[in-house]
Amino acid sequence: MKCTECGHEAESGSFRYLYNARIDASVSLRQCPSCQEWLAVDELKSEVRQKVRPGEAPWGKSAGIEGLAEDV
Amino acid sequence: MPTCKECIHFFPREENPETGDCVQRVVDPRQAYHKARPVGAEKDAAECASFEKK
Amino acid sequence: MAEPATLEDKKEKKIKAHEEKQEWWWIAEKRRSRRLDYLRKAVWKKGALGGNYAPGIKLDLEGPTLFTDMWKRNHTDPIMLRRAKALAHLLDNIPIFITDKAQLVGYMGSLPHTLAWRVDGASIVNEEAYNEPGIHEEPEAESLKTVAELNAYWAGQTAIDKVARILDPEDAVKFLSGAIGWGAPTSAYGYSAKNYEYFMTGERAFEDIIDEIDANIEKAEEKTIGTPGPDILPLYDRIHNWEAMKIVLEAGIRYANRYARLARIVAESFESDPKRKEELLRLAETCERVPAKTPRNLQESLQYDFFVQIISRHEAHEGAWPSRPDYYHGPYYDKDVNIEKNITREEALDLIGEFMIRTYEVGGFGPRWAREGLQGITGTWVWTIGGVKPDGSDACNDMTIALMHAARLVRVANPTLSFRWHPKVSDEVMREIFECNRQGLGYPNLRNDPILVANAMHWHGHPIEEARLWMNQACLSPCPPTKHGQQPMRMASATANCAKIVEYALHNGYDHVVSMQMGPKTGDARKFTDFEQLFEAWVKQMEWIFNTLVRTVNLGRFKDPEFFGRPFLSAISERSVESGLDIVSPVGDRGNSWITAFTFVENIDSLAAVKKLVFDDRKYTMDQLITALEANWEGYEEMRLDFVKGAPKWGNDEDYVDDIMLRCLRECARHSKVIKDPSGNNWPILPENVSGNIHYANIVNALPNGRRLGDALYDGGISPGPGLDKKGPTAVLKSCAKIDHVTHGRAFLLNQRLSPTQLAGEKGYQLWKAYVKTWADLGIDHIQFNVVSDETLYAAQRDPEKYSEVIVRVAGYSAHFVDISRKTQDNIIQRTVQGLG
Repeated sequence: MKCTECGHEAESGSFRYLYNARIDASVSLRQCPSCQEWLAVDELKSEVRQKVRPGEAPWGKSAGIEGLAEDV
Repeated sequence: MPTCKECIHFFPREENPETGDCVQRVVDPRQAYHKARPVGAEKDAAECASFEKK
Repeated sequence: MAEPATLEDKKEKKIKAHEEKQEWWWIAEKRRSRRLDYLRKAVWKKGALGGNYAPGIKLDLEGPTLFTDMWKRNHTDPIMLRRAKALAHLLDNIPIFITDKAQLVGYMGSLPHTLAWRVDGASIVNEEAYNEPGIHEEPEAESLKTVAELNAYWAGQTAIDKVARILDPEDAVKFLSGAIGWGAPTSAYGYSAKNYEYFMTGERAFEDIIDEIDANIEKAEEKTIGTPGPDILPLYDRIHNWEAMKIVLEAGIRYANRYARLARIVAESFESDPKRKEELLRLAETCERVPAKTPRNLQESLQYDFFVQIISRHEAHEGAWPSRPDYYHGPYYDKDVNIEKNITREEALDLIGEFMIRTYEVGGFGPRWAREGLQGITGTWVWTIGGVKPDGSDACNDMTIALMHAARLVRVANPTLSFRWHPKVSDEVMREIFECNRQGLGYPNLRNDPILVANAMHWHGHPIEEARLWMNQACLSPCPPTKHGQQPMRMASATANCAKIVEYALHNGYDHVVSMQMGPKTGDARKFTDFEQLFEAWVKQMEWIFNTLVRTVNLGRFKDPEFFGRPFLSAISERSVESGLDIVSPVGDRGNSWITAFTFVENIDSLAAVKKLVFDDRKYTMDQLITALEANWEGYEEMRLDFVKGAPKWGNDEDYVDDIMLRCLRECARHSKVIKDPSGNNWPILPENVSGNIHYANIVNALPNGRRLGDALYDGGISPGPGLDKKGPTAVLKSCAKIDHVTHGRAFLLNQRLSPTQLAGEKGYQLWKAYVKTWADLGIDHIQFNVVSDETLYAAQRDPEKYSEVIVRVAGYSAHFVDISRKTQDNIIQRTVQGLG
C-alpha cells in the first residue's frame, strides 16, 4: 500500500491501525509509519484513499435521515 | 521584621485580634475574585511577596 | 418614516438569525443576564480534554497538605475521629474565595483554577498526580517536592493500598488490571447517595443534628458507666464516631462563617457599588444562617445544599451528584417567587443558573483511566427532576420549569437533568423538556417513572413510598434518599467491561491483549460444534467476571469503616446519627447495588453473528473465525464485512438477535440474585457506558460483530451499534421493548439521535411527543437524545474554537464536543440520525 502524502510503500499491516468509526464500512483510519499522517484506507483494496483532516468524513454521512428538511 | 498585622491585607478578628484573614483581590485569566486565608497577626511577613505596609 | 429599530429589536433579529443556524449557544449568551454571562465565562473547566487537563488547571496542594498535617498529629485516634479532625482543620484553614457577581459560594479546592486531590485514596493515583505534566503550580520544582513528600507519607496507607493487601491476590491483579473492571472499591472514590429526607426537608440543619448527637452521646455515656455487659461494649466506639460527626458539623458551620466574614470584609473594604454591597451583605447573612440553621428562602436553600456537597467533597472524591433540586428547593422557589414575591422570576433564574455553574466548576484529579471513561467532565452530575411524590401525585413544580429554563441559559455540560416521566406530566413541562433537547443540550433524558418505581421494589425491596422518592445515584440507577434506602458508596465500582465475556468465551478465558489467563477455561472454541457450547461458555465467563468484581467491591465496602471512614456523610445520615455507626457500614443499609455493564451489546451482535454464519448457515468454521479474530481481521476484510452485514444486528426488531439479547439478560438476571451485596441484597446489571466505549477500544480484542482492536465500542446500554440500526427509530424501540425493564436489570441506557431540522416548530414538538408516548407505552425505562447535525459537528472538528460551546450527549452524561477525543467525536457523528413520523 502506498501513502498518498509521502509515497511510502509497504504492507498495509505496517500502517498503524487507528480505528474505524463505521463498523459496516470498509474504510478505516491508519497512520503512515513514515510521515505519521492519518489516512483513510479502503480495507478491501488495501488502498489509501486520502489524507484525513479534522472535519473530514471518510465514512460519509451518518446513517439515517440527516439532511432532510421538513416544512416548519 | 514585618508581621502580618502591619499589612493592608490583614483583617483581624474582632473577638480575637491575634488571628485574622489575609484578604486579597485576584484577577486571573478567567475571573476576578477576593480570596482569604487565615493567618496569625504576628506571623513573619518578611518573605511574603504580597506584603504591603499599612 | 419607519421608527428606528430599538436595541431590543436588533437583538431579537440577531437571535432569530442564530436560531435559523441552530447556534443555540449565541442565543443563550444574548438571553442570559450579565451576571450569568460573567459567571459562565469565569469557569475554569476541570474536565479533561481527550484525557488531558486544560492549560492553567493546577493541582491543589493546600487541601492535601492541611489534611495530612493534622492526620499525622492524631495517629492514635480511631479512624473516624482522625478523619474528622483532619477535615475540620482543612475547613478551618483552606483558602476560600468569592467570585465577582457571585451569590453562592463554596469550592472543592482552594482557588478557582485548582483541582482537588484526594491524597488518601490510592497510591497509584498519587503517582499519576506526580507524573501528570502541566498541572503543577510554579515554581514546579517546589510543587513536585511537596507532592513527593505527600506521596511518600501516604504510600501504603491509602484506602486502596489497604484493600489490595487483604484481597485475594488473583482478584486484586485481575480487578486492578484494567481489562475487566472500572472502579475503585473504596468510598474515597466513587460517589454517595445522600439522605436528603433527613437533612433537606426543612426539619433540621446542622445545629439540630448536633443536638441529636449530643443526646445520643449522653445516653451512651450513662450506659458506659453503668452495669457492665456485652450490650455496652459497642458503645465506646460509637461515642467516638458521634464525636467525630459533631466535630465535622461544627467545622462545617465555621467554614460557612468564614465566607460570611469574607463577604462582609469585601463589602466594607473593597466594594464601592452599593448594589453589590447589598448582595454581599445578603450573602453574608445566608452563610451565617446555613448550614447551621434551616433555610428560609431560595438562596439559603441552594447555599445549604451546596455547602453539603462541597464539604462532602473535601471528605471524599464524590464522582457523582445525586440530587433532586426541584423537589427539595421547589417549596422555597414557590415561597420567594409566587407567594411572598421576595424575588422576581429573573432573580430566581440568576440563582438557579449560578447553582448550575458552581456545580459545573467543581472537579477533582482523576487517574487517566477515569478521565478517558469520562471525557470532558470530572464526574456524572445527573440531577433528577419531575417524577411523583410518595403518594403518587405529580411532583413537578415551577422550579422544575425554572431549572430547564436556566439550563438553556447557562448551557453547562454538567450538571445534566434527568426527567422522571409519568403519565400525568403537563404539556407545559413536556415542552420545556423538548426545548432543551431541541437546543442541543442532550438533556433532560427521560426516565419511565412507573417502570423504575416497580424496578426498585423488585430488585431491592424498597417500599413504594421510598421508591417514589428516587433520584439517580449517578447516571442512571435509581436510589431512594431515605434512611435505609440511601447507598453511601459506589457499589457499581463493580463495573464490568462486558465485551470481555464473549471475548473470553471465544478464547478459552485467555486475554490476548493483556496476555494472561483471565477467565476460567471454558473450552477451545475452535472445537465447538454447536451454538449451545458457545453460549454455555459465555454464561460461565459472565458469572466469573461478575463474581470477581463483586467480591472485590463487597470487601471494600465491608472494610471501609476501618480503612477510610466518613464522619461528615455519617453526620447527615439518619441511620448513622441514630446508631453511631459509620454510614458506610452495611448495617441498616437495605442495599441498592448494581453492576454497571459497559460494552454489553457487543456480546449480542457477536453471538448472533457466530450462530448465523458458523452454526446455522455453516458458511465459516469456528477455526476460520478464531484465526481471523487472532489476526485482528487483518487480511480478512471480506469475511469481517460478512460478519457485520450477513447477520442480524440488535436494534432492528429482529427476533433472531433480539432473542439472544433476552437470553443473555435472563442469565444475568438469574445470577444477579445469586451474588449478594454486604446487606444480602441483589446485584442486577445496568447496561450503560459513559465513555468507556472509547477507553476500552484498545483493550477489547477483535470480535465476531466485526470490530477490530482499536475501534470504539458501541455507545452503550442497549443502544444499537452506530449505523447498524437500519429500520428506523420505532424498530429500535420495539427491540428495546422486548426487554423486561423491571426484571431483566436495573436500568438500560438508550441513545437516540434526532435531526434538528425535523424537530423545528410545533410540528417537530408533536412528532417528538408522539415518539415519547410510544417509548412510554412500550415500557422502556430510559431514552436520551442528541439533536445536532453532522454539519455542525464536522464544522466543530475543523474549527473547535468557534464551536467550543456545542454540547453532545456522550452516554450517561453530556460534554462539550470539543473536549472529547477525535475517536469519540467520530463515534458520535456515526450514530444514526433517526427520522420521526
